[in-house]
Amino acid sequence: MGEPGDRKNGKWVSRSILFLAAMSVASLLVGFVLLPGTQGDFSAQGIWASICRAAGVPLRRPAGDAATALATRSTTVLLDRSMQRPADGDAVGRGATLALQCTMCHGARGLSEANAPNLAGQYEEVIVKQLLDFRHGDRQSAIMQALTRNLSERDTTDLAAYYAYLPRPSIAGEPVGDMPALVRVGDPMRNVAPCASCHGGIDHKLGAPWLEGMPREYLGDQLRAFAQGVRTNDSHAQMRNMARSLSAQEIASISAFYAGRTGGPGGR
Amino acid sequence: MFLARRLVLAHFWVAFAAFAAAVALGAWQMYVRSPLSPWIDDPELYYRSVTAHGTVMAYVFPTLVAMGFGYAIVELALKRPLIGLRWAWAGFWLVVVGTLMASVPMAAGRASVLYTFYPPLIASPFYYLGVVLVVVGSWVWVALMGINLRVWKRDHPGATVPLAMFGNVAAAYLWAWTSIGAAAEILVLILPVALGFKDTIDVGLARVLFSWTLHAIVYFWLMPTYLVFYVIVPRAIGGRLYSDTMARVAFVLFLVFSMPIGIHHLFADPEVGGGFKFVHAVFTAMVTVPTLLTIFTIVASAEIAARLRGGKGLVGWVRALPWDNPMMLAVTFSFVMLGFGGAGGIINMSYQLNQTIHNTQWVTGHFHLIFGGAIVIMYFMVAYELWPQLVQGAQLSQRLIKAQLWLWFVGMMVLTVPWHWVGLLGMPRRMAYFDFNDAALHAQAWTVVASAIGGFILLASALLFVGILAGARKTARSAEPFTFSVAVHPGARVLPALNGFAIWVTLMVALTVVNYGFPIAQLVLLEHTSVPAIPIGAR
Repeated sequence: MGEPGDRKNGKWVSRSILFLAAMSVASLLVGFVLLPGTQGDFSAQGIWASICRAAGVPLRRPAGDAATALATRSTTVLLDRSMQRPADGDAVGRGATLALQCTMCHGARGLSEANAPNLAGQYEEVIVKQLLDFRHGDRQSAIMQALTRNLSERDTTDLAAYYAYLPRPSIAGEPVGDMPALVRVGDPMRNVAPCASCHGGIDHKLGAPWLEGMPREYLGDQLRAFAQGVRTNDSHAQMRNMARSLSAQEIASISAFYAGRTGGPGGR
Repeated sequence: MFLARRLVLAHFWVAFAAFAAAVALGAWQMYVRSPLSPWIDDPELYYRSVTAHGTVMAYVFPTLVAMGFGYAIVELALKRPLIGLRWAWAGFWLVVVGTLMASVPMAAGRASVLYTFYPPLIASPFYYLGVVLVVVGSWVWVALMGINLRVWKRDHPGATVPLAMFGNVAAAYLWAWTSIGAAAEILVLILPVALGFKDTIDVGLARVLFSWTLHAIVYFWLMPTYLVFYVIVPRAIGGRLYSDTMARVAFVLFLVFSMPIGIHHLFADPEVGGGFKFVHAVFTAMVTVPTLLTIFTIVASAEIAARLRGGKGLVGWVRALPWDNPMMLAVTFSFVMLGFGGAGGIINMSYQLNQTIHNTQWVTGHFHLIFGGAIVIMYFMVAYELWPQLVQGAQLSQRLIKAQLWLWFVGMMVLTVPWHWVGLLGMPRRMAYFDFNDAALHAQAWTVVASAIGGFILLASALLFVGILAGARKTARSAEPFTFSVAVHPGARVLPALNGFAIWVTLMVALTVVNYGFPIAQLVLLEHTSVPAIPIGAR
């Protein structure tokens, strides 16, 4: 290889490196200094703050006052999968004893005859979340708020373990009619997702209760409460956003469908 | 070829069988969401199908084609047996086992997370382990490409690496570096959750790591196509390659620029700062350079072919091109699709214009046109070109090949042009059904019918493709020796920098550190960024 070739090669390499370095610096300057500088909210606190913001460093906002936080909060319960792991026999036994005070409304074996929700076979994390929301005042009920006030954390999980352990009901009566379209496919143009994509049938999402065989009045009341913003303990307003655009007739047909539906083992 | 014939055939057959199955799924998807079919009762089935279609088309099919083509190039371009044949078979079986392992949970509905994974959705661990095995199998190929080049260079000191091998190894190194992002996402973030050790996942970090892979993987798919443009097309149409240097420059530019630009997929994501989004947009724009270089070089090479055949005039030479030659047809279709798709891609990568089409059907149209169209049509040509070598002396019907190429081109245009249009109108992608009874959507129904028609034309073409290859029979006469394109000035000395990869791989890594270093470091160090995982079909 001759000398001139080496020189040419060296020039190629160094020019490539220089070009890439210059391009990187130039685009960094434009992206981090020039463009943010044209935006008032980026540049208000000086150049360093503006660069940090362009780099994606989170803003530290001053903590809001507690009263506003409470007024807008939906729930404080963070659902994760550890809440759905099967409990041991002790927990079920303790839960059964504690559940004696629930039987008046929710039935001796978790099946209500008083238009309160059925709890037999309900998912653990659903029961835990509702009990905690009642206790924290995020879900309103004169009876349930009083009953949950003195429950310890262990009482809560034991109750959930007991009710999850009870067998799902095999309810008398045939499924009512065909599955409503709202349950199967929702209504995309109204942004209503199918019920079955969270409550079982298509998929089941953490924190969504199974509904088959629930009292019709209870389901209708809850949907109306969500629609009117009376019940607000659904995180990210998931249920409020679904229920708000439903007509009274649609609420009635969904409630009737789930109330008349036989829930098999596993709920699917 | 020497030792690799069966190896390459095995790669191609698995690739094309998986491809045909995935095309069938795609056609079904187009039909089931169109007004021709009632709404699907269980949309989970649709997403299951989308996951399988995407996983095969993005990971299995192009990887196997690149691997098989790469092994063939080693023997055909270096004119010596492949070193590491057993390792190559081991890599192949890893890909096959990985594919099967991922298929089972996908078919069972436990992995409907789409091929982009997107946590906090979490699939069965076997799905991710399967994908990891596919990637590990391809890393064996990467290592073998590097080793074969190194041994050849050692035995031929100072000699110029054949262009085909140069591009092939560039593709291998590109893939090695780009696959690290998704591999890290799966191994460090997703698998611990999928296996049940953790219940929360850092979604922002996962998406940034995936973007590391998500864009450059496209250029890994593209490399075999560009290899065909440079090292086969000029020879096949009876011309010469206009510039060998230009080809090498294009390959190293892809190596440097295709990797650190993936954040343009996250323009609508909050976890990355606007400054980095801008920088990634700038560098995404840079990958148009090697593409424009390629179009210029290949058109110039075609002009050489036309003038050798007596073509005259400023543009009159176009008529003298060998239009009855399947390769001429394929490269023309490919360029048309690359032209439309590339123009659309420039809109995708612009930080502001992206807002109008982000997550709409436009995006689906864009990557089907580029990958399914411009790239895959040249994969067909790879198979047609190599088949006489792989199935000794096989004669393929030129008429059937041309019919297949026409069907693919027409089908892809019918599929993707309406998608682009309706994407501009705001139709979201990844929908299992649309409410066409609504007055606002009624006028868009025809586009979904068109995409279903396009889908079935593509299915016909894919089946014809597999049929042509399956129908090839060995003949007594041995195959003509395989040749690559010759440059206008063959044997011209190549700059040492363009005869190896050291400097370009260094620049690729350095640019990645500049463009990804801070966003990744920041997301790793930030606290309280994890959210609860959502397992698919767990109950």
